[in-house]
Amino acid sequence: MTIDPSSVARYAGGSRIPGWDDSADLEKDPAVVPDPATTPVPDDLRAEIEAEMAKYPEPEAATIAALKAVQRRYGWCSPEGVVQAACVLQLTPGDLVGVGSFYDMLNMRPAGRNAIYVCTNISCSLCGAHDLFAAFQEHAGDDHDFQVKSFECLGACDIAPMASVNGQYVGPLDPADVPTLLQQLRDGQEPLPEKQLARRPSADPNARGSAS
Amino acid sequence: MPRPVVDLVTFTVDGREVTAPQNSMLVDAALQYGDIEIPVFCYERKIGPPVGACRMCLVEVEGVPKLQAGCATAVKDGMVVHTNTPRVKEAQEAVLEFLLINHPLDCPVCDKGGECPLQDKSFGWGGGISRFVEPKRHFEKPLALSPLIAIDRERCILCYRCVRFSQEVSEDYQLVLHDRGAHTFVGTFDGHPYVAPFSGNIIELCPVGALTSQAYRFRARPWDVEGGGSICTHCPTQCNVTFTVRDERVLRVMGRDNEAVDDGWLCDRGRFAYQAIHVDDRITQPLLRDGGALVPVTWERALEAAAAGLKRAGSDVGAVVGGATTNEEGHLLARLLREGLGSENIDSRPAGGPSTGVRTALAAPALQATIPDLEFAHAVLVLDTEPVDDAPVIDLRIRKGVRRGAVKLAVATSRPSSLDPNAEAVARFAPGAGEAFVAALDAALGGTGDLAELADRAGADADAVQAVADVLTGRDDARTHDDAPATRDVVILWGERLTAGERADHAGRNLLNVARHLDLGASRDGAGLLEIPAGGNNRGLREVGVLPAEGALDTAGIAAAAAEGRLPALYLLHTDPLLDLPDRSTWLRALDKASTVIAHAAFLTEGISEHATVVFPAESHAEKEGTMVNLDGRAQRLRRAIGRQGESRAEWQVLTDLAGRIGLARGPGQALRRAAGLPRGAWGM
Amino acid sequence: MTDILLFRGIDEPGLATIDVYERRGGYKALRSALGQTPEALIDTLKGAGLRGRGGAGFNMGVKASFLPKGNIQKYVVCNADESEPGTFKDRELMQKNPHQLVEGLIIAAYAVGASKSFIYIRGEYGLQADMLDAAIGEAEAAGYLGDDILGSGFGLSLYVSRGAGAYICGEETGLLDSLEGKRGNPRLKPPFPANAGLFQGPTLINNVETLSTIPHIIEMGAEAYARIGVENSAGTKLVSISGNVQRPGNYEIELGMSSRDIVFGLAGGPPEGRSVKLWFPGGSSSPVLTADDLDLSYDFDTLAKAGSMLGSGAIIVVDDSNSVVDIALWTAKFYAHESCGKCTPCREGTTWTHTMLGRIKDGSATPMDLDIMASVQEHIIGNCLCVLGDAMAMPIASMIQKFRSEFEEYIETARARSEQALVAGAAR
Ligand SMILES: Cc1cc2nc3c(=O)[nH]c(=O)nc-3n(C[C@H](O)[C@H](O)[C@H](O)COP(=O)(O)O)c2cc1C
Ligand code: SF4
Ligand code: FES
Repeated sequence: MTIDPSSVARYAGGSRIPGWDDSADLEKDPAVVPDPATTPVPDDLRAEIEAEMAKYPEPEAATIAALKAVQRRYGWCSPEGVVQAACVLQLTPGDLVGVGSFYDMLNMRPAGRNAIYVCTNISCSLCGAHDLFAAFQEHAGDDHDFQVKSFECLGACDIAPMASVNGQYVGPLDPADVPTLLQQLRDGQEPLPEKQLARRPSADPNARGSAS
Repeated sequence: MPRPVVDLVTFTVDGREVTAPQNSMLVDAALQYGDIEIPVFCYERKIGPPVGACRMCLVEVEGVPKLQAGCATAVKDGMVVHTNTPRVKEAQEAVLEFLLINHPLDCPVCDKGGECPLQDKSFGWGGGISRFVEPKRHFEKPLALSPLIAIDRERCILCYRCVRFSQEVSEDYQLVLHDRGAHTFVGTFDGHPYVAPFSGNIIELCPVGALTSQAYRFRARPWDVEGGGSICTHCPTQCNVTFTVRDERVLRVMGRDNEAVDDGWLCDRGRFAYQAIHVDDRITQPLLRDGGALVPVTWERALEAAAAGLKRAGSDVGAVVGGATTNEEGHLLARLLREGLGSENIDSRPAGGPSTGVRTALAAPALQATIPDLEFAHAVLVLDTEPVDDAPVIDLRIRKGVRRGAVKLAVATSRPSSLDPNAEAVARFAPGAGEAFVAALDAALGGTGDLAELADRAGADADAVQAVADVLTGRDDARTHDDAPATRDVVILWGERLTAGERADHAGRNLLNVARHLDLGASRDGAGLLEIPAGGNNRGLREVGVLPAEGALDTAGIAAAAAEGRLPALYLLHTDPLLDLPDRSTWLRALDKASTVIAHAAFLTEGISEHATVVFPAESHAEKEGTMVNLDGRAQRLRRAIGRQGESRAEWQVLTDLAGRIGLARGPGQALRRAAGLPRGAWGM
Repeated sequence: MTDILLFRGIDEPGLATIDVYERRGGYKALRSALGQTPEALIDTLKGAGLRGRGGAGFNMGVKASFLPKGNIQKYVVCNADESEPGTFKDRELMQKNPHQLVEGLIIAAYAVGASKSFIYIRGEYGLQADMLDAAIGEAEAAGYLGDDILGSGFGLSLYVSRGAGAYICGEETGLLDSLEGKRGNPRLKPPFPANAGLFQGPTLINNVETLSTIPHIIEMGAEAYARIGVENSAGTKLVSISGNVQRPGNYEIELGMSSRDIVFGLAGGPPEGRSVKLWFPGGSSSPVLTADDLDLSYDFDTLAKAGSMLGSGAIIVVDDSNSVVDIALWTAKFYAHESCGKCTPCREGTTWTHTMLGRIKDGSATPMDLDIMASVQEHIIGNCLCVLGDAMAMPIASMIQKFRSEFEEYIETARARSEQALVAGAAR
């Protein structure tokens, strides 16, 4: 049956969920556990995954770490990378993408190099997170170097509104900070050093007082 | 491991006292022993442990504050359960309302309509109204999941049955869930099709119309069809099936769960091969070779020609019988040959086998294991067979036993097996060296002979042989030491090819030695030998005597003799030697030389179209009446689901007719009764 | 108030290194614990009355006593997923004083006889995970981890396992699946983790703060610890306070402190000119309280009696400049996004609630929708596989109950607004 989806009104919005409208390609072979003999895996990727496997009584437990290694290497969990990881883990690639797609930090589609997670949960929203997110979208939304995602509570409501920039927590942020921050990333510099959570003292006055 | 002994408990459900096995799940116990249905979606006993996902089965258990999932609550003595209180009703209506929120309700155009659990549950337990006014999700549909299966993601209610089947039953792990929460969807890796030996089962498991058979889509409605219960004859497991029939056509094959046979599953061959029943190139009338070509003739002419040919050949006739033959047909042909023509040259084994003594010893009742034993044994040895090819559904049973952590598996084959990853020990031997391997295994178990030398002869690694032996004896199995049973239940699943060829007797004796060392014959249940015969009814055919008498020609002998021109007539009952049997060149010559080649066939395959002189149309398994014996000795009945095609006649009738024409006068009824008397009174099942 | 415990000297430079930690008396509790029997330790923990700090508030010692005795493979898992909205206390503990957690975890493992342990940390906490990795390396080098710890014959391995972004992995069985490399779907209970947890072995799971408290209990003794706080809520508690307050952050309080003193005294209350409209006392999963409840004692039982819960100890303050509809919408959005999708009421109920709130916002809802929404919450509560569904339904239900008139007004004005817009649109 051939329907041109664009001509059908109810499909016009497209799928809000990537994948829902995907059909299997009947030309492809079934995706079974990759054969080590025919699946080349880069040595460092293999070493990284095997080191993780060694931590657990059951090697499959390294699946998430393996996907992260793939993402670090290829920028996202690309099919090629997933097959390589599956080969090391001796699992089906389907197993890996099923796991990977469950987690917000793993990109199952190509994504920008710089990961910017803007918290839009309650505490940050109370402090202006939506304006902040809008500012990020405005300044970096179309830039393929960046992936700007609205994220759930990142566990840093004390610096609301905040964002995680390539893993570095920064806040409180003002929409006006955004162009500076992006420029710093483009220049390969640390984002807003003075606003990094890593450098912040505790709010509890007792904690400060009783040091000794 | 011996089957667990189950105690009975008594509990109350909706005021009714019910006695059921302890630890059975409430939904099963209530339905099976109390006739009270608690609705379920995600739960399906044959998939495995409950997951408690859909929440359709919530019930009230006295003394427990929250509603409990009946699918995941084991019954206990004195438990008091309510399934129809206002609280339970409200929860059931709520779950159905939730499930229908995003369900398209396109029942009028859905294949599942009329036999849909979601429809049934909505009707039986739903609130009848929906308060959901938001737009439903809509996506492109249907999409291909594989050449056999279409997926409609709008309809999916995320019960996870299909992915659990793929991951936890067939263990192919190709079908997975993607994404999370309400975005979750069923799919595969990067658009690869879901192609696996048992994929079709997910169609039956799906409680909605999300997974449909490409071949059955839009062919019929449940009220258009009739179901015909029979068995599948494509392998010696003989899974129990139902043919879905509309207007005398088989439109679908579904499982008819039998725990003792198929455990509720079918392989894709058994499920989809029905498509060959209704095709144009099937042979539906008698054919006779006339001036080089096969031409349609009347039954009278064909039967006459066949009878004449047989009479001409007299006792110089050989018959080869294929696995799709029923006990009755096999028996009739054997009588026709033996009593009518005085020939003992009849065989149902593709490559011979051990002599009568060894064969009888191997088939000794005390030594036989059953299919369910595979699930409960301490250890299973897969020997010279690839279950997924030779008896597919058996593969699932082995996986099940291993998955439950109860069975230790050893695999000894000449080629890599799909069960290798599940096995505790794997040994490889050279093709055809099964006999030598078993000798080595016997040595490793403490029998005679030098392990290193014998392993070498088998082309196997001595350490691997020893490892297999250790799995069987339980040397490294902590459980054996713990409860220290005097005996260990070991099942050896072996392929008929182990005892094929010239050294068949050696192989058989070696296997008997191994069995003796493992004490498999000690008249106990749960342990023993289990043979996978070469074809669908090959065990039954042997049991009704479709075998050459001592000194007569076996299959290979028939080929050789015919090739030398010593057998002018050949009878091929459901077999094309050029396709099904070894040694093609001999068979080519044999078929050339024989002046009369009578075949029962459904298709004009090479051997038939080029060489047969008389062809009788063969019935498909959906058209046949009769009995067969499956691999563990269960006599099962084939029932006709559809009428015969074209001018076809019942093949037992053809054989009886032919017998009459060569002067063997006895009524068919008598023959049938006699055949039927053989395996456990099969007739009338 | 009593001296603080967990946050003592938290900003001291170098506290994250083993040298400074030991100089301050670190790992003494471990030495002392290894000199006692596991049974005695479990008694101490029980007697201290330490209730879990991760959300459920179950007595830690009692939970430890549930693990079967004997020589089987057991595990200790530290729940460092910290993704309950408003909670960020574990983050500070791990970043600044990782050895305190490592020491507490080793003691807990010794008490239950576990030889393998893991800290499952949310993937977003990269810095904190690195700090833990470094601390574990130091502890191994110093002989606090390994095959034979300080010559006691007790051995323990400890690894950090990093998540990848999913709230449900804070739920203990979801966490276990994720730690095993699967989708983080919660499991059916029973069996409970104490019997069949990680890799099906008996497993003790505790929150970072819970485990970090253990060295202090060993040092001061159960009785002294139990004297801190109020009845049934022993000890100190880290409170993460955020939202509309002037000094958001983590504070260590003695349980039983007045909530007003926390919100106003420690965190400075809402901005100048604003007042408290509502507050979540224990993360976004706790039913909301109002300004009238500010004098409640901040402890497990009092908050439970008030119809809410102490949860993770995360106070989110919302001032009167906000509409309850927004708060409900943000809350529902979070849970709809984080529902794992395994069970029906949670998957569909959270999403439906979120959509209904969206309609209230855009003016296409009627007051009837409010009743439907309330009934949907009832249909979720108690019917799910885990409590994530309840964690949305309870606060949303509390908001509808306590701010019903505000919802109704909002619906009316939003309707009027959207109708006007429609008319204006049609006129144009
Ligand atoms: C949806 C959900 C999320 C949870 N998230 C966390 C969490 O992020 N951190 C945590 O310590 N406990 C969390 N919990 C509680 C855990 O299930 C568990 O009770 C806790 O880790 C036990 O440790 P404790 O006894 O030390 O508190 C969560 C529970 C649920 C139901
Ligand atoms: S496709 Fe069918 S079987 Fe699979 S999860 Fe959906 S409803 Fe269940
Ligand atoms: S049948 Fe019990 S939860 Fe689905």
